[in-house]
Amino acid sequence: MQLQPFVAFSTYFAAPVHSLAHLNAIDIAVIAIYFAIVIFIGFYLKGSANTSEEFFMAGREMTAWIAGLSFVSANLGSLELMGWAGSAYQYGILATHWYWIGAIPAMLFLGIIMMPFYYISKVNSVPGYLHLRYGDGARALSAVSFAFMTVLMSGINMYSMALVMKVVLGWNLNFSIWVSSITVALYVGLGGLRSAIYNEVLQFLLIWLGALLVPILGLIDAGGWTNLKHQIGARLGSEYVHLWSTTGHFSENPMGIHWTGLVFGLALVISCGYWTTDFLVVQRVLSANNLRSARMAPIIGAAFKMAVPFIVILPGLLALAVLPYHLVGESQAVATGQHSYNEVLPLMLVRYCGPGLLGLGVTALIAGFMSGMAGNVSAFSTVWTYDIYGAFLNKKATDQHYVAMGRWCTFIGVLISVGTAYLVQHAASIMDYVQGLFSFFIAPLFGTVILGMLWKRTTKAGGFWGLLAGTCTAIGLFLWVHFDPSALRYVALSASAKTLAEDMYRALWSWLVCVIVTVVVSYATKPKPVSELEGLVYGVVPLPVEHDDHWYQKPIVWAGMIAVLFVILNIIFW
Amino acid sequence: MREEISIWFFAGVLFLIYGVIITSQGLWELSHPLVNPPVLYYLHAPIWWGAMMTVAGLSYTIRFWPRRIR
Repeated sequence: MQLQPFVAFSTYFAAPVHSLAHLNAIDIAVIAIYFAIVIFIGFYLKGSANTSEEFFMAGREMTAWIAGLSFVSANLGSLELMGWAGSAYQYGILATHWYWIGAIPAMLFLGIIMMPFYYISKVNSVPGYLHLRYGDGARALSAVSFAFMTVLMSGINMYSMALVMKVVLGWNLNFSIWVSSITVALYVGLGGLRSAIYNEVLQFLLIWLGALLVPILGLIDAGGWTNLKHQIGARLGSEYVHLWSTTGHFSENPMGIHWTGLVFGLALVISCGYWTTDFLVVQRVLSANNLRSARMAPIIGAAFKMAVPFIVILPGLLALAVLPYHLVGESQAVATGQHSYNEVLPLMLVRYCGPGLLGLGVTALIAGFMSGMAGNVSAFSTVWTYDIYGAFLNKKATDQHYVAMGRWCTFIGVLISVGTAYLVQHAASIMDYVQGLFSFFIAPLFGTVILGMLWKRTTKAGGFWGLLAGTCTAIGLFLWVHFDPSALRYVALSASAKTLAEDMYRALWSWLVCVIVTVVVSYATKPKPVSELEGLVYGVVPLPVEHDDHWYQKPIVWAGMIAVLFVILNIIFW
Repeated sequence: MREEISIWFFAGVLFLIYGVIITSQGLWELSHPLVNPPVLYYLHAPIWWGAMMTVAGLSYTIRFWPRRIR
């Protein structure tokens, strides 16, 4: 009888019988060393997280390089790594749009245009900016939707990683979920944002170190880029290796998307919304030690982001040419026992990496998951403490109390994420689900923030009602297509559009509704006096002048160089 | 008293440890070939990849070693 709890425990964490690869002692040692170092960093930095400014904002002491790498690393979760490698296998090179036009212009826009307003207003969060600009209503709406989305994202990230580890390495799902989430809770709870950022920089380097061998060896295996293109073209068609030339019509490319959806839906709305208003990434930049670092951080991040397709998209494309079997969708994989698209990156690791290197590759995948989860959890803890608990529930607590609340929130956020991971086990396509979520909250929020920053006539009521109308529009359009699939031809402008294309257009419409409602309500209501908008709105007061010793130190110069490189890359892979 | 440990020092130490482990594994495989080798095994990726990590890790460890505060 007394053995029963132990038996239940060991069954809960028991390894599945079948797996594609087995890790040996060297691999386990590589993974264990990584866990030891990240936990050590958490304990080491515990003493540097005593005040709320230190715990939630890393003391605003980060250099441009650290903030920039952390900015891009917090986004590089397991969904970004494994999900988009799977999307590259499924849709071809078109998946690169989510790294290039779906990221680079928005990151440069954040660094050059928006960062000065966030930074000089000294806000602790994006809902904090909304509070200064629009009052408590918009802050509450944004904080609650962000908190909800963050733990949901974190759970989805966790589940996607655990599932792949189960299928490829035979790890127990519960073991993967609990070990990695307890580690994240420990190092973020102890060292706060500084610990999360330090680990994110380390994780970013590890991701490159562990994943870079796959495209290098894969290109040798496939006989170079030109041969790879020919092989994919012969097997599936040339539309898998062109970025733009097949986007003139919905039915001419594997993604079922039109260039207007990519340019207006993805680049203008979803990408700008995510990279400029999602507090998960913006929090990293707000931790910079001065305005110049805060402006350079997203620009440095953009340079690295532009290179990420080499370790994410290219392995997906290589798999199309070199894997001797075909990968299928998640639901079909579960039903037939085949491998799914989401497993392409670990499958390629197993193909090229022996003992030691396989451990390093698996560490890279775990590091990706942890950086994404730590980003979500630290942002959740900050928004809950500053914008929900501190703003509405307990306004007069001491600084120590808020730090304690932040630590507790980190653990609670991890627990809710674990619960979410078990909840989303039945989601058929993880990536499509997440894209849908983005358009619910991020697109309207971008409309509200950008109008607030650039147009001084925007009023408190305009901001609140615009945000609410945009969010309701996104949810309404989603439900419309969900219950009546024929509505797709109205929402996504074509009955041939696929899920990702629908998400792009839904985001665009919800953003437009938000902007129109904000403008109409603002004209019908009384604006704030200009004196109350100082440091919050473009043109109200001059921005602080930065004195760079040389022309090459100016953020605009670096942003220009990255923009030119971005255009050249798009032309090369047109 | 020493200055606060830089993140680049942590990165250097981690790279160095991994580099030594992976290079050693690659060298050991020269005399003890794997039963189920991965694709392109003949390129001996663990040796050159591990050696590169060792050099990068060693240089970062030395460059960012926490110094004494005077």
